[in-house]
Amino acid sequence: MSLILLLTQQMSLYMVIVYLVSKTPLFKLFTEAATRLPHKVFIYLIFSSFCIMATYFGEQTNDAIANTRAMGAVLGGLLGGPVTGFLVGLTGGLHRYSMGGFTDLACAISTTLEGLSAGLFSYYLRRIGHQELIYSPLMVCIVTFAAEIMQMLVIVSVAKPFDDAWLLVQQIALPMLLINSVGAALFMSIIRDQKAMYDKMSSVFSTQSLRIAERSVGILSDGFNEESCMQVAQIVKQETQVGAVAITDTEKLLAFCGIGDNHHIVGTPISSKLTQDAIEQDKVMFADGVNMAYSCSISKECQLGSCLVIPLRSDAEVIGTIKLYEPKKKLFLNINRSLGEGLGRLLSNQILYGRFAAQQNLLVQSELKLLQAQVNPHFLFNALNTIAAIIRRDPNTARRLIQNLSQFLRINLKRTTGLVTLADELEHIDSYLTIEKARFIDKLTVNIEIADNLLHYKLPAFTLQPIIENAVKHGTSNMLESGVITVRGEQLADSTLLLSVTDNAGLYKAKTDSEGLGMNIVDKRIQNMFGAQFGIAIDFKTGSYTTISIHLPIMEANI
Amino acid sequence: MITCIIIDDEPYARDEIAILLENEPDIEVLAQCSNAVEAIQAITKLKPQLIFLDIQMPKISGLELAAMLDPDNLPRIVFITAFDEYAITAFEKQAYDYLLKPIDDARFANTVARLRKDLTPKVLSPIAAEKLAHIPCFSGNKLKVIATEAVQYVYSDVSGVHVATDTELVHTHMTLRVLAEKTSLIYCHRQYLIAPAAIAEIEIQEAGAEVTTRSGAKVPVSRRYLKQLKQLFGFQ
Repeated sequence: MSLILLLTQQMSLYMVIVYLVSKTPLFKLFTEAATRLPHKVFIYLIFSSFCIMATYFGEQTNDAIANTRAMGAVLGGLLGGPVTGFLVGLTGGLHRYSMGGFTDLACAISTTLEGLSAGLFSYYLRRIGHQELIYSPLMVCIVTFAAEIMQMLVIVSVAKPFDDAWLLVQQIALPMLLINSVGAALFMSIIRDQKAMYDKMSSVFSTQSLRIAERSVGILSDGFNEESCMQVAQIVKQETQVGAVAITDTEKLLAFCGIGDNHHIVGTPISSKLTQDAIEQDKVMFADGVNMAYSCSISKECQLGSCLVIPLRSDAEVIGTIKLYEPKKKLFLNINRSLGEGLGRLLSNQILYGRFAAQQNLLVQSELKLLQAQVNPHFLFNALNTIAAIIRRDPNTARRLIQNLSQFLRINLKRTTGLVTLADELEHIDSYLTIEKARFIDKLTVNIEIADNLLHYKLPAFTLQPIIENAVKHGTSNMLESGVITVRGEQLADSTLLLSVTDNAGLYKAKTDSEGLGMNIVDKRIQNMFGAQFGIAIDFKTGSYTTISIHLPIMEANI
Repeated sequence: MITCIIIDDEPYARDEIAILLENEPDIEVLAQCSNAVEAIQAITKLKPQLIFLDIQMPKISGLELAAMLDPDNLPRIVFITAFDEYAITAFEKQAYDYLLKPIDDARFANTVARLRKDLTPKVLSPIAAEKLAHIPCFSGNKLKVIATEAVQYVYSDVSGVHVATDTELVHTHMTLRVLAEKTSLIYCHRQYLIAPAAIAEIEIQEAGAEVTTRSGAKVPVSRRYLKQLKQLFGFQ
């Protein structure tokens, strides 16, 4: 009975050590399956030393040692696999052998066998896909129990003389079976609990970051301003449950929500040294309120006690910070610290994307403006020349043409880039075509076949007109015969508005400079505004026809 | 009396020149043409001393047309353009006559005054294309613009100059001499030009040779041009 108590004492010492180790990052190594060599070496070293310690601390009993060595060998085998288990057992066994006594050989053999068989059993569990059973304390208890029974059998059969061995086994069997099994099970239970905690923490962490990413996506793409920052700050605060969240640019506070929002006023300049340092050095700054004091630079009454400042970047340049605060009475969680740093990267990427998108859009807009500003000079001077000639014969027609030309120029100079109704666009086209028809008289016929019920639909300004101008400029005006241009409109079943311009010249060549440019801009702008399923399609037969089809979403006038 | 032709694809633009010329009683308008094919026909037939030539025209531009004219019958040219910075720079440099649309009365009067003093045609080589991409042709009443590389051979007879492609035979008002100069066609006979790429075989005969083209047409080769033709393909 006293042997049980002594072994329990010994085991308790281990448990204290294990518990302490479980609070260090090293412990994480126990919680994962050992697949790589350094990991296996670690397992080997730890459990071999357990075996050796167990032999040292063991109780001398009848020229033998009652001990908890089996725990080390079995756990080493279970966590490290057959080879590691064998080596742990062998090391423990050889050490025991060196201590001498009449059971030295029997103990050496049995410890090696214990490590090896636990390793083989662990290998078997992995093979059948039940590796989670390795971490089950009950399973460990049974395995150790079986291993110890095996050890007793080895002692009885190997140790000489048999009578002494039999007597020894009668004395030590029960305590060793009991303590080793319970000890190994307790050890595994500590490992398992720790593992569960890690898993839970990382899943909470991932969920939290994914939720923030999901909820904030697109907000900063619209611009890095007070409104978008406030939305992001609120999301971050809700998800992380920190005391307060602030976002600044490089000069002032853009958003603040949480504790202290009565004196952290949006729009005020940055006053905290911590934030200024974060911006200047492009570094994450952390004042945990313990090692590094944090005190609010605005108000002494402020309850905030710790602060994490993460710089936000656009390209390589720091454009602001996001700050997470906790009040004085609350600790700043480590998890929130690493989350905050990841958040900085996430938001930086979004800002970068937003700027990129804005620039793209700006580019298309300015290209479009260029296109509109470029009233084709040939058209303009030929139109004036035509009018000059007509004035002599028919001043009234000339007056009408001047009005049409003015109308055309006015709309071009106004450079509307928003949406207009199809009726408006056709009016603009009409001004243009009236002049072209005056220039070419019977050599140009234009048929517009668009039903009245389509006229109230909206489309981006300057979508149809440049296409028709192209059809004249690069199509019919290059024909010796008469040119015919047909403009059609149709509402398709999938709420698409299809507009098409067909000429009878068939002179389309892919990528002719100016024609390609104008059409590309129209195409790019439609795709930018409505998505890739809309835009321009080209169909042509050289010498016969060219059809440009424009696909647009149906948009009613009142939206 | 100065004879002239007005060439522009826009009716009112031709009208405008005609009206301005009404003030110049010593200038007679022989014809108005709306494209290069009509123009080259009219120039060959009417042999004007002066042409008013718009640059931007369908299929064959004014500058291309100028390159197609026979140097022996070259009229004086007044170019007209609405907007063509490149051409205007060239005109300035070579001191060619040109007018901008809409036409300024004073400038028009100046130009006419200068022409009255000196109507000598100017050498066009600085602005005219070295090689022609198209040949203006007609077939019956139909105007056709044939791509130079489609031509197999060209010949002249009493009725004019004929252009053969592998699918059709059309006619042109351009001369063999200009075609030989401005295209890759070469003389194989005093009255025949052939595209070297179209030659399938050359059969030596007593008085010269006969070429069979890739489309199977027979073209005579005179003794005078046979040697050059053989040398072109590496025969001695």
